[in-house]
Amino acid sequence: MMRLRLVTALLASAAALVAVSAQAQDLVTKDRVGPADAPKSLTLRLTGDGPTSTDPVWAEGYKKLFGEFIQRHPGWRIDLERMSDNIGQEQARMLEQAKSGQGPDCAAVDSFVLALFKGANVLQPLDEYFTKEEVADLFPFIRDGITGADGKIYAWWWNTDLRVLYRNKDIVPDAPQTWEDLKAAAIASKDKGMEGVLFNGGRWEGTTFDWLANFWAQGGKLVDDSGKPVFAEGENREKFLKAVNYFKDLVDSGAAPKRVATIVNYDEFNAAAAAGSTALFIGGNWQYGQLKNTLEPEEFEKWTFSEIPGPTKDQRSTGTGGWTFGAFSKDPEKVAMCAAIVKEIYAGPGNALQQQLPTAKALYGKYDVFKTPANETFAKALENGQARPGVPIYPEISNQIQVMMGEVLAGTKTPEAALDAANAAVQAAYARP
Amino acid sequence: MQTTQAATMAVSRRVAGPSLGRRLEANPFTWLVPVAVMLGIFYLYPIFDVFRLGLTNASLVGTGEQYTLATLRAMLENPALGGILWTTFVFTFGSVVGQQLFGLAIALIVMRGERRKLKGMVALRTIVLIAWVIPGIANGLIWQMLFSEAPFGAINSVLRLMHISPVAWLSDPHNAMLSAVISNVWRGTAFSMIVFYAALKAIDPTLYEAASVDGASGTQKLRFITLPQLRAAILVNSILVTIQTLNTFDAIISLTGGGPGRATEVLSLFTFNTVFRNYDLAGGSVLSVLMLVISLVLALGYASFLPRREVSE
Amino acid sequence: MTIEQREKWGDALTYLAAIVIAAFFLTPLAWLLSLSLRARQEVFLGASRFIPKRPTLDNFAQILSDPTFLLYLWNGLKLSALGGLGCLLVAAPAAYAFSRFWFSGKSALMMAILAFQMISPLVILVPLYRYMSALGLINSHFGVTMVYIAVSVPMCVWLVKGAIDNIPKSLEEAAAIDGCSRFGTFWRITLPLAAPGLASAFILILILNWSQFLIPFLLLNKDAQLPISVAIFNFSGTSNASTTQVLAAACLVAVVPAIVAFLLLQRMIVGALTAGAVKG
Repeated sequence: MMRLRLVTALLASAAALVAVSAQAQDLVTKDRVGPADAPKSLTLRLTGDGPTSTDPVWAEGYKKLFGEFIQRHPGWRIDLERMSDNIGQEQARMLEQAKSGQGPDCAAVDSFVLALFKGANVLQPLDEYFTKEEVADLFPFIRDGITGADGKIYAWWWNTDLRVLYRNKDIVPDAPQTWEDLKAAAIASKDKGMEGVLFNGGRWEGTTFDWLANFWAQGGKLVDDSGKPVFAEGENREKFLKAVNYFKDLVDSGAAPKRVATIVNYDEFNAAAAAGSTALFIGGNWQYGQLKNTLEPEEFEKWTFSEIPGPTKDQRSTGTGGWTFGAFSKDPEKVAMCAAIVKEIYAGPGNALQQQLPTAKALYGKYDVFKTPANETFAKALENGQARPGVPIYPEISNQIQVMMGEVLAGTKTPEAALDAANAAVQAAYARP
Repeated sequence: MQTTQAATMAVSRRVAGPSLGRRLEANPFTWLVPVAVMLGIFYLYPIFDVFRLGLTNASLVGTGEQYTLATLRAMLENPALGGILWTTFVFTFGSVVGQQLFGLAIALIVMRGERRKLKGMVALRTIVLIAWVIPGIANGLIWQMLFSEAPFGAINSVLRLMHISPVAWLSDPHNAMLSAVISNVWRGTAFSMIVFYAALKAIDPTLYEAASVDGASGTQKLRFITLPQLRAAILVNSILVTIQTLNTFDAIISLTGGGPGRATEVLSLFTFNTVFRNYDLAGGSVLSVLMLVISLVLALGYASFLPRREVSE
Repeated sequence: MTIEQREKWGDALTYLAAIVIAAFFLTPLAWLLSLSLRARQEVFLGASRFIPKRPTLDNFAQILSDPTFLLYLWNGLKLSALGGLGCLLVAAPAAYAFSRFWFSGKSALMMAILAFQMISPLVILVPLYRYMSALGLINSHFGVTMVYIAVSVPMCVWLVKGAIDNIPKSLEEAAAIDGCSRFGTFWRITLPLAAPGLASAFILILILNWSQFLIPFLLLNKDAQLPISVAIFNFSGTSNASTTQVLAAACLVAVVPAIVAFLLLQRMIVGALTAGAVKG
C-alpha cells in the first residue's frame, strides 16, 4: 500500500514536471509547434526564417514567437517543414506538389515566383483576414505583387529587400549620383590601391536583378501589359543597350575588375570589403548588418551606402525582393491559421527580430530597430522599389540576361549581338504553346 | 553443415517439387525476374514517361497537357544547343582523361610505395578518397575561394608571391572550363584510383619477373604489360566516369553557375535549369531523351572495346 | 648505379610525387577546415584570410549538439544500407544466372543492363515525382530505397557476377549431385562463398548511395526523414544570412562516416573490384 502511494506520488510529480516544462518555448521542437496530440494540425513549410534558423538568436526569437502563438491558439499543432537554400529548386518542387494536392497547408513563397503560384491557381484568397487599411498601407509594388487578376489577395508579403551602393567614405567621400560619377569614383579609388567597383556579373539571378535597376531607372520595360517580352523593341532596346554598355564600359575602362563576371554571391562583396580591396560595391540592404558583424568597429565606421546611381541624378531605381506566405490548404480553418501566423509572427515581430525591412509603412514607426537612420534611408529608397515582373517568361529573360552579361563582359560578343541573341531565345521560348 | 544440407534437400523436394520448381529454376530467365521487375517499375516506366512528356507542352506552371511536336522542335532548334553539347563534350572528355591519368599515376605510386614498404601510402589513398565523398556543395564552395580572382584569391595570391602574373581562372571563358575540369578531377579521381589499384593488384607478378629477366625497362613494362592488362579497368573507368561526369552539375552551379555566358553550361545543367528554373517539364524531357541517346551511343561505343570473352563467356 | 641505388632514387621520386599529389588534394580540404573553424565575423573574409584570427570549435559544437544532425546521419546510413542490401538481393540471382547459365541473348542482356547504368538518373528525374506520387511513395523511405536499388542494380549485377565467376563450379556440382536444388545450391553454397565479394559490392554501393542528392531531395519533404546529403543544405543559411562556417563544419562531419567505412573496409572494396569487372 505504502509502495503504491509512493509510485503514485512519483508519477504525479513527474506529470507535474512535464506540465511545467511544457511552457512556451518547449512547445517548439525542430519539426513541431504545439502538443503532438493536438486535435487540429497544419503543415507549414519555412525557409531559414523560423525556429530552425542557423542563426541562434533568430532561432530562439522565433521559438519564442511560435511558442506564444500556439498558446494563443490552443488545440492546434503546427508541423514544420524546412526549405533549403536552393530556393529555385525548392519553389519548383513545392509548386509541383501543390498542383498534385500534396503541398503543405501554408508555406513561404518567394515573392519572385509568387506570380507563377497565382497563375497555377493553387493559392487560397486571404482577403477576409486583412483589413482594407492594412492592405492600403503596403508599398505599391508589394500590393501589386500579392493581388490576383480578380482583385483578391493571394498571399501576404511580409519582408522585402533592396539594392544600394555601398562605399568607403575614406576613399569615396561623396555618394556617386550618376553612372558617370560612379565610373569616376571607381577609377579614382584604384589610385588608392582598390580594385574598383564590384557588382554581380556572373551566371546567377543576382546579376540580372541588380543590373535591372539601371534599365528600370530609364523607364525601361521587360514585358508589356499582356506579359509579352518587349525589352528589345523600340525605346526599350535603346535603354537596354545603354544599361548594358554602362556595365561594359565600367569593365573596359578598368573602373570594375574583370572578375565581376565571376561573382555569383553577395558574400564576395563582404569579403572584399573586409580585405580592404574595394571601396565601392552594389549590394543588398542586409549586408549593412553583415559588414557591422564582420569589420572592426573603426573600419565599419568608414562604410555607408546610398541609392544606386542612375543615368541622371533623378532617374533612380532599385530591385526589390522578399518573402510572402500563402495558403495551399482548402480547409478554411487552416487558411485562417496560415493568415494568423503571418500576421502575428512574421509581419512586424519577425521583421524586427531579423531586422528585415517591413512591407508596410506603418511598421517603420512601430519598431525602434527601424527608426535608425540606415533603415529610414532604406525605407525611402523603397519608394523607388521595383519588383521583377511576375510573368512565367521572366526566368528565361533573366537567364538570357545573365548569359548576355557574361558574353559582353568577357568581350566575346558585342552588346547588340548579345541582345539580339537573348531576344531571339526569349521570343522563341515565349512563342511556344 | 551436412545436416543443414540434407534438410535443405528435403525441404526443397517437398516444397518446390521436382517438376515445376526444377523447370523454373533451370530457366535462366526466372533468375532475372527480380532485376527485370525492379528496373521495369522504377526505371523503364519513368523513361517511357520522359518520352511521352517530351511530346507534350507540360510545364510545372501551366495546367492541362497537350500533345505537340513544338517542344521537340524548339529544343532541338535552340541555337545554344550546339554550344552546350560541345561544352559537355569538352568537360566530359577532360574529366575522363584527367581522372584516369591522375588515378593511374596515383595507383602506380601507391603500388610502388607498397612494394618498397614506404610509409604514408594509406594516408595518401585516404586523402584522395576524402575528396570523393565530400558533398558537391562544398566542392563548389572551396574551389570558388581557390580560383577567386580577387586580390586575395587563394591560388592567385600564391602565384603573386612567386612573381607569376595572376590567372583569370573563372572570368575567361576558356579558363573557366579548365577550372571546372580541375575541380571535377579533384573530386572524381579517387574512384579511378581505386579501380586501377585493384586492377594493378590483380596483374600476375610473374609477368613482371619474366620481363625483368628479359631486361625490360620500367617504361617498357608499363607499355607492354601494365597498360594491356589494364584494358578492362580503363573501360570500366571510362564508362562510370563518363556517366558520373555527364550527371555533374551541382559542383558547376556553385562554381560558375554555367558562366561566364554559357562557357561552362553542360547538358545536365541546362536540363536542370530548364526544369527547375524555367519550370519547363516538356523541354527538360526532350533534353533528358537527348542525354539518354548520348548515353546509349557512348555505351555502344565503349562496348565495342569490351574484351570478347568477357561477354560471351 | 646499382639496382639498390636506383631503387633509392625511385623512392625519393615516389615520395616527391606523393607529396605533390597530397598537396593538391589537401589544399582544398584545408580551406574547408579553415572555414569551419571561423566565427561568424570572420567567415566573410573568404579567401582573404587562411588561418582564422580567433579559431573556434563552436560550429562543430553547434552541429553535434543538434539532435537532428545525428538523425540526418542515421537516415543517410539507413537509406544507403537498405539500398545496398536491396540491391544485392535483387542483383544476386541475375548475377548467378549470368555467371552459371549459358543461353542465347545472354551477352545482349548483359549489355542492356550495362546500358541502364549508362542512363543518367537525371533522365528519369523529371517524371519521377509525379509517378512516385501516383504510387503513393512520396515521403517514404521505402520509396527512396526502391529508387536507390533501381539506380544501382546494374552496377551491382556486374560486381556480383565477378564475385561468383571466381567460385569454382565443382563445389556447386557436388551439391547438385547430393540432390540439392539449383536455388538451394545458390542460396546455401554460392552466396556464402561469394560473401567477401558481396560485402565489398555492398560497401561500394553504400558509399555511392551516401552521396545521392536528387532522389531523396525530390521524394522526401519531412525534415525528420532527410538523409544528410540533402539536409546539409539546411546548414548553409540563406543568402541574406549565410552560415558558410556551419555548412563547412557539417560537410566535414558528414564525410567522417564514409571515411571510416572506407578505412575499415578498403581491403574488401579493392577485393570486389579485383574480382569483378576490372579483371582483364
